[in-house]
Amino acid sequence: MLLEVKDLQKQFNGHQVLDGVDLQIHQGEVLVIIGPSGSGKTTLLRNLNFLEHADSGTMHFADQTIDLGKPSKQQVQWVRRHTAMVFQNYNLFKNKTAQQNIAEGLIYGHGVDAKTANQKAAQALKNLGLYDRRHYFPTQLSGGQQQRIGIARATVLKPEVVLFDEPTSALDPELVGTVLKDMQRLAENGQTMVVVTHQMWFARNVASRVAFFADGQIQEIGKPADIFDHPQKQRTKQFLNALADNY
Amino acid sequence: MFDINFARDSFSQILAATPLTLLITFGATIIGLLLAILVVIAREKKIPGLSQVLAVLVSFIRGTPILVQLYVVYYGLPQLLVLMKGWGWNTNPDGLPAIVIAFSAYGLNAMANLSESIRAAYHAVDPGQYEAALTVGMSPVKGITQIVIPQLTVNLIPNFTNIFLDLIKDTALVYNIGLVEIMGQANIISSIGFKYLETYTDALVIYIILCWIFARILRLIEARLRQRYVIAQ
Repeated sequence: MLLEVKDLQKQFNGHQVLDGVDLQIHQGEVLVIIGPSGSGKTTLLRNLNFLEHADSGTMHFADQTIDLGKPSKQQVQWVRRHTAMVFQNYNLFKNKTAQQNIAEGLIYGHGVDAKTANQKAAQALKNLGLYDRRHYFPTQLSGGQQQRIGIARATVLKPEVVLFDEPTSALDPELVGTVLKDMQRLAENGQTMVVVTHQMWFARNVASRVAFFADGQIQEIGKPADIFDHPQKQRTKQFLNALADNY
Repeated sequence: MFDINFARDSFSQILAATPLTLLITFGATIIGLLLAILVVIAREKKIPGLSQVLAVLVSFIRGTPILVQLYVVYYGLPQLLVLMKGWGWNTNPDGLPAIVIAFSAYGLNAMANLSESIRAAYHAVDPGQYEAALTVGMSPVKGITQIVIPQLTVNLIPNFTNIFLDLIKDTALVYNIGLVEIMGQANIISSIGFKYLETYTDALVIYIILCWIFARILRLIEARLRQRYVIAQ
């Protein structure tokens, strides 16, 4: 097992957002988290890399054991250097070009020399077919291009786990496919991924396991076919039925 | 009637006082900027006690006329030095140059205005930018210096320009504490020749030219940065 979280608790203003989450992530798997909006999926993801700080809980990651309620600065930095995140709103650095966006993490976060970092960033852009846009700033790129660069920025760091926070939610429907294809390619290459998404096609076809998350807890977790075709919990059935009614 | 010859002859004499105007403006801006950065850090980090005290101080300075602040510093600073001398500090309350008073008063005034502008510029940077920096492994300091400050700077320049131009104009008041800058020189020359309109028109023209030059320089810097970062188009 690569990463395990036990009894993760998080409150916002007295509201229990994460209520004792237990989660295991295996090397090379794609864990997709689905569930209603506002259920705490994004908060769970943000607690995994300390963008939010949990009230309590334990994380076992590689050979480290971290008290999530009181992580040291070194532990926070260590986890961030071994994970990466793709955001819903891309969050590309507005003051950096496409190539710089990919290279900066290598240079300032991972101590890679600027020349090597820029070569890697250029190669990443070539792989995406966006090399001709390397000197463009984020505002000059489409949403789809920004998100694909966002994914490249995360994966160029060779993280143990990439966290995806609804990576296609802000995209035009016709751009969703290209981003999902990039993610599928990553999954095929064995990248460990935790993906919060409403893209059920991706959950059913690319996920190794699907977790249904509601009311601050993982209600049910299993293989995509089990979750989608034979859900055990009433809350999961309710959610999937509501989805089916919408299509 | 307006004596054009007197105005022309006085112009160069009044212009000769411009360096002092610029010295006070630049000195106050540098002092104000350094203090403002410390104030912003203390207030954004919400350091207990200090943050609240600074908030009151900033509000107090922004809510009172610069002339009053100048007088309070002019009469208050020497007394503070007397007190410090009593505590065993090696101070010289009697030998306090007027320029130090001017730097102190205008520096504090610039600090108050700049700290609020910097905070506004900081809050205008999307928090997701800093978060993204952390997620690629940057330390908080690198995230601030590499990602937040360059974006904050672009946001800050329009307000900074206003504060800087206000400082140039507000230095006209330092004549009240015995410093002879543009306005002081105009006062002296007009009282010698009793030709007030001519000398004050000279001063007016010099202030307009100064403000125009600096407004233009700062606008060019802002345009260059916005173009460089392609932000907020």
